[in-house]
Amino acid sequence: MASPSGTDAAVALTDEYPKLAGSTSRDGRPFTGTAPRWLVAVCAVVGLLFAAPLLYLIWRNITGDEDLVDLYTSRATLIPLRNTLELAVATALSTAVVGTGLAWLTTRTDLPLRGLWAALAPLPLVFPSFVGGLALMAAVAPGGLLDAPLGWVGVEATRPEGFWGAWLVLTLFTTPYVLLPVAARLVALPPSLEESARLLGRRPSTVFRTVVLPQISGAIGAGALLVFLYTVSDFGVVVLLRYDTLTRAIYTNRLLDRDQSAALSLLLAVVALTVVAGERTLARRRHRGPLEAVRAARPLRVPLGRWRGPALAAVIVWVGLALGGPLASLGLWAWRGFSGETSSLASGDRGLSDLVEPALNTAGISIVTALVAIAVLLPLAYLSARHRARAADVANGFVATGFGLPALVVALSVVFWSRQLPEAWGLYQSFTMLVFAYVVHLGAQSLRAAEVAVGSVPSRLDESARMLGAGRLRRFRTIELPLMLPGLAAGGGLVLLSTMKELPITLLTAPLGFETLATRIWEDAEAVFLAEAGLASLVLVALSGILTWLLVVRRTERLA
Amino acid sequence: MGHGRSLAGAVLTLALATGGPALAACGSGGDDRLVVYSGRTSNLIRPLLEDFAAESGISIDVRYDESANLALLIDEEGDRTPADVFISQSPGAVGFLDAAGRLAPLDDELIATVPDGDAAADAGWVGLSGRVRTLVYNPDLVDDSDLPDSVLDLTAPEYAGRVALAPTNGSFQDFVTVLRDQLGDEEAVAWLDGMAAGDPPTFDNNTAIVEAVGRGEVPMGLVNHYYAFRAKAENPDLPLENHYFPDGDLGSTLLVTAASEIADSDMPEEATKLIEFLLSPEAQRYFSEETFEYPLADGAEVNGALPPFEEISKTRVDLDELGGGLERTTAMIDESGLT
Repeated sequence: MASPSGTDAAVALTDEYPKLAGSTSRDGRPFTGTAPRWLVAVCAVVGLLFAAPLLYLIWRNITGDEDLVDLYTSRATLIPLRNTLELAVATALSTAVVGTGLAWLTTRTDLPLRGLWAALAPLPLVFPSFVGGLALMAAVAPGGLLDAPLGWVGVEATRPEGFWGAWLVLTLFTTPYVLLPVAARLVALPPSLEESARLLGRRPSTVFRTVVLPQISGAIGAGALLVFLYTVSDFGVVVLLRYDTLTRAIYTNRLLDRDQSAALSLLLAVVALTVVAGERTLARRRHRGPLEAVRAARPLRVPLGRWRGPALAAVIVWVGLALGGPLASLGLWAWRGFSGETSSLASGDRGLSDLVEPALNTAGISIVTALVAIAVLLPLAYLSARHRARAADVANGFVATGFGLPALVVALSVVFWSRQLPEAWGLYQSFTMLVFAYVVHLGAQSLRAAEVAVGSVPSRLDESARMLGAGRLRRFRTIELPLMLPGLAAGGGLVLLSTMKELPITLLTAPLGFETLATRIWEDAEAVFLAEAGLASLVLVALSGILTWLLVVRRTERLA
Repeated sequence: MGHGRSLAGAVLTLALATGGPALAACGSGGDDRLVVYSGRTSNLIRPLLEDFAAESGISIDVRYDESANLALLIDEEGDRTPADVFISQSPGAVGFLDAAGRLAPLDDELIATVPDGDAAADAGWVGLSGRVRTLVYNPDLVDDSDLPDSVLDLTAPEYAGRVALAPTNGSFQDFVTVLRDQLGDEEAVAWLDGMAAGDPPTFDNNTAIVEAVGRGEVPMGLVNHYYAFRAKAENPDLPLENHYFPDGDLGSTLLVTAASEIADSDMPEEATKLIEFLLSPEAQRYFSEETFEYPLADGAEVNGALPPFEEISKTRVDLDELGGGLERTTAMIDESGLT
C-alpha cells in the first residue's frame, strides 16, 4: 500500500511522542476547545434524525390510554424488566471477557493460524438470531448433530433454554461486538510500551493488565455497551429459548394491546438512555488521553510459549461452538435437501442460482448502509471525542435508543414519520427510506468505534500539520483519515454484518419485491423448508466472510 | 491520500458493481400495479399470484411478513397505504384491521363461495384455506396404540412432559380460544393447568417443535398439520407422523387463512378479482395439492393424505361474542404458567 509522505512523517513523529509513557499530562490536547458552529449544527440534525423512534413512541404514549405509572410498577412489567437487565448485563460481561481475549490472541500473539481465526471469529454476528438459534439448538439439543460427540466427552446434550440458554446463545453470537473494536484498537497501539515493560522483566499478565488494558478499556466498554443494547432489543433468541423479557411482552402484545406495547417500548428506550448516560459518565472519569494510534514499523508478537496449545484449543472450541455448531446444522439441512429425492433442491426447482439476486441485493444494500452510517456519524464522533460537548452526549443517547429498541418499532416509526412528508417526494418504501431505517437502528455500532478512532488521532500531529500550513480538509485526508481507518472499518464492519442479517426492517420498509438473503432464509424457515433455509444461510455466511475479510480484516491486518 | 481513497474506492466500486444493478432492477410498485401484503410466505403463494398475473394481465407487487406485522403496517400507513389486498395466516390479524376500519366489505358472491362461518360476519374477510390442529409424533418413540383419542386426554399422567407446546404461538392461542368457546373458561383453564402440571417442553413455534420431534428430543407435539408434510417432503426418512384426533375432536380444530380488501385501495376491482381467483377451483386445488391445506371453497376436494372434513372439528368462534376475546385467552395461557 502506497504510503503518503504525510503519514510517514506521522509515524516518525509519534514514535518519539512523549505521551507514550502514559503520563497524565494533558499537554498536546488542543482539540478540547469550543466546537465549530457548523459541526454542532450538523450534529443537531443527525441527533434529531436518530430521535425518530423515541419521538414516535412518546407521541404514541401521549395519544394512547395506557396508565404508565400503573404499568411500570406492575409485576407483569417488573419481572420481564428484571429479566431483560440481568440477561443484558450478564451477556455484556461475558462478551467483554471473551471478545477481549480473542482480540488479543488474534492480533498480538503468535497463535497458530492467527489470520484464519481473525477472519472467522467475527462471523457468528451474521446469523440471523431466528435461524442461528434454531440451528444451534438442532446441533446441541438431545438427538442433535453433536449429541454423540458431546456424549464421548461426557457432556449430556441439553436444549439451551431460559436464562442460561439465552445468555449462552447471545454470548456466542454477539462477542464480535467487542472483538472487532478491541482488535482495531490493539492493532493501532504502539508496541514499544509493551516491549519495554517486558524487557523490564514484567510478567505477560502484568504487562497486559497494567499497559494494554488501560489503553483498550474504552473499546471494550464501547463493545460491551453494544452487546447490552443488542440484548435488550433482541427478540429472536429470547423467544426461541423461552426467556421472558420486555421484548417478548412488546411482541406478544403488538396487536392485542398496542398501547401497552408502545408503553413497554418506551420503557426499553429509557433503559437504553440510562445505560448510555452511565457509560458516558464512566468514560469521562476514565483516564483521559489514550495512547495515540501509530503504524508500528513491525508487528508485536507476544510468544505464548507453553500456553500456545491451550490458547489454540480455546479458540478452536469457541469458533467451533459459535460458528461451527450452527454451520454444521445448516450444512446438514442443505445436504439433506440435495440428497433427498423430493425436495426442491434435489429436483432442481430451487438452487444456488436463485440466490444470486438476493445475495447481490444483500451485499449492495449492506455496503451502502455501512458507508452512510460511517459518514453520518463521523461528525458526531468528532464532537464527542474531540470537543467533549454535552450536546454530543444527548445525540449519542438518541443514537443508542435506535439500537436499543426492537427493529419492528424502528420500522414502524420510520413509516409513521415518512407519512408526515409530502407523498410527491416518493420517499415511501424507497431505498433512501430503507437505508435511513437501517442507519437509525444500526448506526450506534459504528459511532462507538468512530469515537475510539477519532480519539486515537495524535493531536500533536494535527498541530504540526497546521503549523506547516495544511488546510483542515487536507489534514483530515492525509493525516486523520488514514489513522482512523482501522477503527472506522471495524465500526463499519459491524454495521455491514448486522445489515446483512437484518430482517424486520427489511420486510416492512424495503421497496416492494426487494429480497435479501435474510428474507429468503426467514420465509423458508417459516414454512419448514429447512434445506432451502440452510443453503441460503450458508451463502449468507460465506458472503459475510468474504466482505468482512476484504473490507475489515485485511485492512486492519495491513496496517499492523 | 493513500488507503483512504483506495478503501472508499474499493467499497464504492463493489457497491456499484454488485448492488447497483440489482437495486435498480427492482420495481417500485407504481400506480397501475396491484399491491398485495401477504402473511403467507412467498413459497406458499407466489406461484398462484404469478398465475393470476399471467391470466388477468394485472401486475402484482407483494410484501411478505408475519400477518401481525403487516396488519400493524397497514394501520400505521393509514390512508396512504399502498396495499390493495391483505392475505393473513390467521383471522386475528384481519380482525384487527377490520376493527380499525381498514377493510372494505367484500361482495356477497365472494362470501357465498365458502361455507357459513368461514368468512367474517361483516364481510370484512373471507377464508381461503385451512390447516388442522394435530398431534405430531415420532413413531420411533411412540407406539400407535398409545395415542389418545382426544386432545383433552393429554393431561393424563402418561403424557406428562412428553408433548411439546408452543404457548405463545398464534395457532395454539386460537385453539385455546376454541376450547373456551366450546367447553367454557373453567374447563379450558383446567386443561391448561393439567398440561402445565406435566411441565411440558415448550417452544416458540411449530417449526421448532417439528424439528425437535423429528430429531427425537420430544416424542410428541401439538402443531398444525402441514409442517410434518413439508418436513417429510424434504426428508422422507424423518420419523414424523401426524395423529389426527378422531371424530371431530376439538384437538382437530380447523384454523383458516383469510383474504381481505383494503378500504383505501385505489384498485378495488382488481383486488376483488384476485380474491375471486384465490377462491377459484384452480387456486383451491393448489392449496390442496401443493401446500397440503384444506381448501375452503364449496366443492373443492380435500387432499387424499388428509382426513376428510367430516373427521375434523369445524368449530368457528366469533371472537367478539366470546368474553375478553383473544386477550383473555393469552392471559389464561400466561396464568397457567406455560409461557
